[in-house]
Amino acid sequence: MPPTSIRERLASLRGGSRPAPPADPGRRRLPAGFEAQETELGIAWRWAEVLPIGRLRPGPPHDLLGGIDPDGFSFVDTETTGLAGGTGTYAFTVAIARPHPHGIELVQLFLPEPGDEPAFLRALDSELRLTPGIATYNGGSFDLPLLRTRWTLNRMPGELAVGVHLDLLHLSRALLRPRIGSCTLKSVEERLLGFEREGDIAGELIPQCYFDFLRSGWSRDLEVALEHNRQDVLSLQHLLHRLLRRVRGQDSSMEACDWLALARWLQRRRNRPAAWRAYRVASEMNDGDASLDAELVLARRKAVLLEWRLRDPGAALRVVERALERIGPDPDLLKRRRRLSDRVDRANHPMKGAEAFAFADQRGESLQDLGIEGLPRLVAQALGSL
Amino acid sequence: MALPPLDVARLTGDITLDHLMAASPGEFVPLPSDLAPALAEALRRRGMERLYSHQAKAWEAARGGRHLVVVTPTASGKTLCYNLPVLQRILESPQARALYLFPTKALAQDQMVELGEMASHLPLRLKVHTYDGDTPPGQRTAIREAGHIVLTNPDMLHTGILPHHTKWRRLFSGLEYVVVDEIHTYRGVFGSQVANVIRRLKRICAFYGSSPQFLCASATIANPRQLAEDLLEEEDMVLVDRSGAPRGERRLVFYNPPLINRSLGVRRSSVLEACRVASPWIKAGIQTIAFCRSRLTVEVMVSYLQQSLGPSLDSHRKVRGYRGGYLPLRRREIEAGLRDGSVVGVVSTNALELGVDIGSLQAAVLVGYPGTIASTWQQLGRAGRRSGSIAVFVASSAPLDQFIVRHPEYFLASNPEEGLIDPDNLLVQAGHLQAALFELPFAEQENFGRADVGELLELFAEDGSANLSAGRYHWNRDAFPAEAVNLRRLLADNVVIIDTSQARPEVIGEIDQFSAPTMLHEEAIYLQDGAQYHVDRLDWGEKKAYLHPVNVDHYTTALNSLQVKVLDRFGGPLGEGFDSSHGEVKITSLATVFKKVRFHTHENIGSGPISLPEQTLHTTAWWTSLDERVATTVARDEMEAGLQGLAHSLRHVASLRLMCDPRDLGAVAEVRSPFTHRPTVTVYEVYAGGVGYAGRLHEIHLELLRSAADLIQGCPCENGCPSCIGPLHQVQGAKSACLQLLYANALPA
Repeated sequence: MPPTSIRERLASLRGGSRPAPPADPGRRRLPAGFEAQETELGIAWRWAEVLPIGRLRPGPPHDLLGGIDPDGFSFVDTETTGLAGGTGTYAFTVAIARPHPHGIELVQLFLPEPGDEPAFLRALDSELRLTPGIATYNGGSFDLPLLRTRWTLNRMPGELAVGVHLDLLHLSRALLRPRIGSCTLKSVEERLLGFEREGDIAGELIPQCYFDFLRSGWSRDLEVALEHNRQDVLSLQHLLHRLLRRVRGQDSSMEACDWLALARWLQRRRNRPAAWRAYRVASEMNDGDASLDAELVLARRKAVLLEWRLRDPGAALRVVERALERIGPDPDLLKRRRRLSDRVDRANHPMKGAEAFAFADQRGESLQDLGIEGLPRLVAQALGSL
Repeated sequence: MALPPLDVARLTGDITLDHLMAASPGEFVPLPSDLAPALAEALRRRGMERLYSHQAKAWEAARGGRHLVVVTPTASGKTLCYNLPVLQRILESPQARALYLFPTKALAQDQMVELGEMASHLPLRLKVHTYDGDTPPGQRTAIREAGHIVLTNPDMLHTGILPHHTKWRRLFSGLEYVVVDEIHTYRGVFGSQVANVIRRLKRICAFYGSSPQFLCASATIANPRQLAEDLLEEEDMVLVDRSGAPRGERRLVFYNPPLINRSLGVRRSSVLEACRVASPWIKAGIQTIAFCRSRLTVEVMVSYLQQSLGPSLDSHRKVRGYRGGYLPLRRREIEAGLRDGSVVGVVSTNALELGVDIGSLQAAVLVGYPGTIASTWQQLGRAGRRSGSIAVFVASSAPLDQFIVRHPEYFLASNPEEGLIDPDNLLVQAGHLQAALFELPFAEQENFGRADVGELLELFAEDGSANLSAGRYHWNRDAFPAEAVNLRRLLADNVVIIDTSQARPEVIGEIDQFSAPTMLHEEAIYLQDGAQYHVDRLDWGEKKAYLHPVNVDHYTTALNSLQVKVLDRFGGPLGEGFDSSHGEVKITSLATVFKKVRFHTHENIGSGPISLPEQTLHTTAWWTSLDERVATTVARDEMEAGLQGLAHSLRHVASLRLMCDPRDLGAVAEVRSPFTHRPTVTVYEVYAGGVGYAGRLHEIHLELLRSAADLIQGCPCENGCPSCIGPLHQVQGAKSACLQLLYANALPA
């Protein structure tokens, strides 16, 4: 008998493996607490609650936040049908946490079936419009491109409303990696925020919860996945608060490695005065390698300023020698010491005229050459912060 | 002008064809009046004051909005046929986009250079980019946003572009032309897969509101328009197949090396004979290209030729090898050397057969039959100097070589081969339907290309990989379905062949799971590219075979019990004597023991068991069975030997007609088939579900039987040999039994 159904034919062509049993779709039961919300593109399903938890006071605006008050951020996270990316992966739920006069407003949207996606996206767009900024965890590479792709795919007009976007993964990596290594939200929660979730679900199992729900109309784990999603955005809110305190140097739990990470981050953002201050704190804590690393950076910078800006190789040499005593034989410092002591020796023996000219030619004009005795303001400032 | 001379006295074998093809002055026409002045100027700057007539025809058709397929010989200015309309359109509207598909990365890179040269004369900053696995991630965004012309390959389109189409919005919304070059390479399984990639491409285009025009080019095959129409699912394509390019006089010679063992059909090495042909030319400074069938023979022949030149002649710079595995820089250097004349001889695999620009040479030698007539013409065409050129085909002992060399008239009749595909092969279609579903949801009544896929979509929904919601099916799996489909093969579970003799083990090939037990069992001698390997270990669970090269005086052959179960008959039986049918079959294969057989003497020098699981293959097949009344008049053992021989030769002539590798087909002989109850030979496709070969074999079955008879009868061996009825059947009288069966029953004498 030839295989008749297309199922049997496919199974047979694939080499005789047994066909999978067909699905048994029952009645779909929406997860608890979601209410219908009318949009011009159909019904969206929304869950909302104000959590009367004590407001975290994140303080005044910071240049990190693109000029927006910390209270102007919504914390956003999606759960999706896969991690592979590409057009065929979509978000089935989005949680949003935002400040509220009585605590924190927690909103969640749920997509009961893929055909309702236009309404889901429309509702999401309205939610995102309520604050000028959104904060995510890896949203720059994952959540936002995915939502934008789905926006295009559903032929939605215009673009998804995303104001200022702050990706807390990047900031966490910059500030926390030396302390906690891989910066998954889970490890950040456990090692920075200090709590462990109970009864949580592993992220990679979440797509299947949703597929089970679509197939059989009910999934025990779906509720857990939705709770996971809500928990994520609450953590994000908490995380921004903690990270801002660190950025301001107000976190009393910071150790030398934290100050060093902060200093490097500040340096990358070209906030030099603050960066030097942070290096100094890290160095003065006298707390293992991080302090020594900070000391090394400081010593180099000081030596450069003393030697070239202040034309005081002797002082530069003393800085380098002190650092060598503390850090040990660092190759760069050793080289610098060699060169500086040569220079100091040479300065002690008056140069012949020709040599003096050659030297001046090498470096071009210098402060002394120009007859400037006092220090320019910027140099003085930079030195002051050291 | 004199043709390069051929010293016939040095050749002791048979010259079976010595054919002179007259020169043709070419047909020129003025540049089209509607050609943009800037483009005309760019052509003039490159020395082109006129077009060849076929270029003008292509221009007209393309400008008239028609889909187009151009079939003209090597080096006839084919690329201009699609580049002109594309460039003109971009000049008119800088928003317009074009996508070029080439079967390999190297060809795409070649074209980029060519287009870049054209564009340097245009008043427009034309952005042409290749997009493939080598494209640096940093450049990708710019290419997606701003590339006017994107050159890529079907594999990249399949996994790298279509599944991320929202990032390619600009390309797809502005897409006006899709160029598909070397369309003849898209046949068989690969072609069937690519046809489905095109279905997906068109779906995405429709989503973004574009409906591109297809401009194709092909080497000479029998059915270019048919193949293009099947591949693209378009109708009324314009075919431009009369070349207006001028051609010099050409001499074409077929040469069969002398027999050194008549009873076994063994001939002198085709490589040595080819060196004998080519070395006088190279010595005389006549630019020569030799085509070998394998990388290994390329190296062997290069060293022979270099030796024959002697060290004084700077032979290492003058004679070069060219094959896959060389670094791109080295390839570019050799190509340039060929163009400027500093390289006199090049020995290549078919890597130089496709459109790589090396100019026209004076002489070509084909070492062994390239496998298809289309390839043969492509390779011969590399020798095409206006001043006159010569091409020599040197046959090996393989059945196809022997058939072709002894039937030059078959070759010259010029168009027996067809490119066949079956886009509706269920396995192929199902894989791409999942990928398409991932890219965009399917409406319930939506077709996939021309295929009605309602049933498949329902199946996906039942299995949970799709979800029907609001009248549309949505992809519902945490997986990236395009990655599960490899365009170059059908199922993912091929056995990978690994050479462990190098410091870094190297994958040298793969074989489908169905054929692997007979070819890659432990202790097998595996042949590839003319080299012998010993299989040290076969890890069936991991689907990996580990082997190392050897040089031994024997080969191995596995005893394989094959059973054919006919599941459904689609057509036939037709005809008398040997009747013909085709349909769906299940082939069961169980390899039990293997024998070691010494070359030449064929003595059995050892054996061993094979303990590998039975394999089944669900596929399509063509079968022919012998009238029962006649069957009773032939002795049983003769019948058996005759049928076996017939199976072997039919498989080879079938692959010749179908333009496929003989390994794409299998053949079984049964003295009494449980289905037909008669002596039967079945030729089946080794790709599950088939790609349309079986149906075609049914249509041409009389021709097939006749060609098989020609092959066997024309072979000078006594009792049958590997060149005609196969290595295993040297039973006394097998050859005559074979012929007796054929002539007594099927063919008018």
